[in-house]
Amino acid sequence: MEFAWNEAEEAYRAELREVIATLPGDWWDAYAPHGPSSPRLMEHARTFNARLAARDLIVRHWPREYGGQDASAWQQIIISEEMWSIGEPRSSLYLGANWAGPAIMKFGTAAQKQKWLRAIAGGELLWCQGFSEPEAGTDLSNMKTRAEPVEGGYLVNGSKIWTSYAARADVMFLLARVGGKGKGGVSCFLVPMDTHGIEVRPIPGVHSRWDFHEVFFTDAFLPADALLGEEAGGWTIVQTIIHYERIGAGRYEKARRGLDHVVGRLKERGVWDDPVVRADCAAALALVEAARLQTYLVIDGRAKDSDPGAETYLARFAMIQADHAVANLSSAYLPDLLVDGADGHLRSQFNSAITAGIAAGAAEVQLNMISGRHLGLPRGA
Amino acid sequence: MDFDFTPDQQALREAIVRIVDDNRDLPRSGGVVEPRACHPATAMEQAFMQGGYLDLALEPGCGAVEAAILVYEAALSPLVMELGGAALVAPLLTRKALPRPVALARVEDLPRGVRFLAGARTVLVDCGDEVAVLDMTGREVAALEDPFAYPLGRLTAAPDLTSAQRLPGKGGELRRLWRIALALEAAAAMEAAVRFTTDYVKQRQVFGRPVGSFQAVQHRLSADAVKCRGVYWLAMKAAWSGSPLDAALAALHAQRAVPEVTYDTHQFNGALGMTLEHALHCWTFRLRWLMGEMGGERTHAADAATLAWPDAA
Repeated sequence: MEFAWNEAEEAYRAELREVIATLPGDWWDAYAPHGPSSPRLMEHARTFNARLAARDLIVRHWPREYGGQDASAWQQIIISEEMWSIGEPRSSLYLGANWAGPAIMKFGTAAQKQKWLRAIAGGELLWCQGFSEPEAGTDLSNMKTRAEPVEGGYLVNGSKIWTSYAARADVMFLLARVGGKGKGGVSCFLVPMDTHGIEVRPIPGVHSRWDFHEVFFTDAFLPADALLGEEAGGWTIVQTIIHYERIGAGRYEKARRGLDHVVGRLKERGVWDDPVVRADCAAALALVEAARLQTYLVIDGRAKDSDPGAETYLARFAMIQADHAVANLSSAYLPDLLVDGADGHLRSQFNSAITAGIAAGAAEVQLNMISGRHLGLPRGA
Repeated sequence: MDFDFTPDQQALREAIVRIVDDNRDLPRSGGVVEPRACHPATAMEQAFMQGGYLDLALEPGCGAVEAAILVYEAALSPLVMELGGAALVAPLLTRKALPRPVALARVEDLPRGVRFLAGARTVLVDCGDEVAVLDMTGREVAALEDPFAYPLGRLTAAPDLTSAQRLPGKGGELRRLWRIALALEAAAAMEAAVRFTTDYVKQRQVFGRPVGSFQAVQHRLSADAVKCRGVYWLAMKAAWSGSPLDAALAALHAQRAVPEVTYDTHQFNGALGMTLEHALHCWTFRLRWLMGEMGGERTHAADAATLAWPDAA
């Protein structure tokens, strides 16, 4: 049992911080509070990601043949901690590095690997995720968007909703149905967002004006090589990537740094001596560190090539609780700093906590999974 | 990072689990558990003593993590044995084995009620900056009649610590180790209560289906499971790191988790869970005592806040 980072991991973190140090001086005021899908941050991400790529920092945990350095899964969580905790300056590059890339490695053709993986490692692609639909959010297998086989490829019709990053992403990891019902028929496609027949409309949200979108497909033609894996074999891919999607972003680290920032503000205001305030902050810290350790348990399994288990869902639920505990402190004790651009750091944590229990699978879905896979309870009627 | 035990630690854990499993049967009257609040683990205690497990932390190559494995695994049992003081706190604090059972007490709690004080041969007393090592020979202790599933006692006379051995400057270290033991015992009792309840709600039928098939039950038990694992990992990390902050966070998270876990598990065991013939109380009424030990969560929270965010010098 060992709870410390090794030298290589510490060195990697230090390198990442050198690149982070190049972020604009008004990062917490003008970029981070508006979220990683905001226009300004996404535009800046292209420059920032090129800097990371120039030092081979993006996918160290990938095999060398795909642009990585055969580093362990721990390096993936280190870059996630460093980036997510400051508002994710990579923007949606992380979708490619965390789970779209590994899915392509596992299920893609040689040509797909050649096309996509080097581009991810090179920091060239911002991704979006075409999963949820108006009638298929938590119940993902209820999706209706269809990909009809035609000569040379597929014609896609339907719509996706609550799609983060869509307006400025380069490529979508799309789920669409090629016949079948339920989980059968679901297929995965890698879709350039400039494909003719794709229309993106923004949906302003409470957490960000720029995060959510609706994406419409009207006879959008995808060539045959856009299909990832087997036709109608998409659910297997979803099951594989879902563990990486749910445990990938270092939310606990953002919560921890947000909590440190809250305490700093409370000290400035002279209320830190209040024992209730101190106790609330300590309780939030315990939640954050519990979430961190449960996440690390998942990463430890990945580093050892173990099959993912129920720990993923336990860790995700712990992370949701930690995120909210910290954001709630801002609301309870510093609400005036959440408005009018008063404190971008607080606002960034507040906004990302709002999404914690919904994004990457609702909190209640995590509890369902824990119930079945960890406790072994029978399915409901 | 490596969350697996070393091969030696794994072998140790397996040996401990075998002893706990071989000696976990509750005494029964007919078909039901003998209705007593507290069931001492007499046979398990003998097995651990014969195997030399109580001095584990003093063995070469062993330390707090090995002692933590012992304390946690034994506390999963419905039977009660004093291990936190004797196998973890005392040897790591004093570097020697003290006459056991070893009770742990704040000085102000000695005349009120202390876990394992009835029958204790040594008490480590938290006197603030220093620790008093109290030899209990000749001291009068009143056993307390109580609903809690621990043997509790109090000193009948005001505590006279003048003759006790003093360990100056060791108060903080006592609290650090005590918090680890407390968190481990709470993590195990919560885990056991959730497992016991999970087994029960799989069997018990209401409205023609298992209680455990209702989402209202599933979600609460699942959230409880997250708490159990969170406390466990905080406690194990605290044992590994030696950090006072880690220990305070583990104890804080443990004591904050107890109300919901005990409430949920009792709710889902229904009226049966309120009887002494049903084993649930063997864990939940230990937890209800542990919840307030060391002064309760406010003391850990206060220390954690100070340690995590020290005021500028």
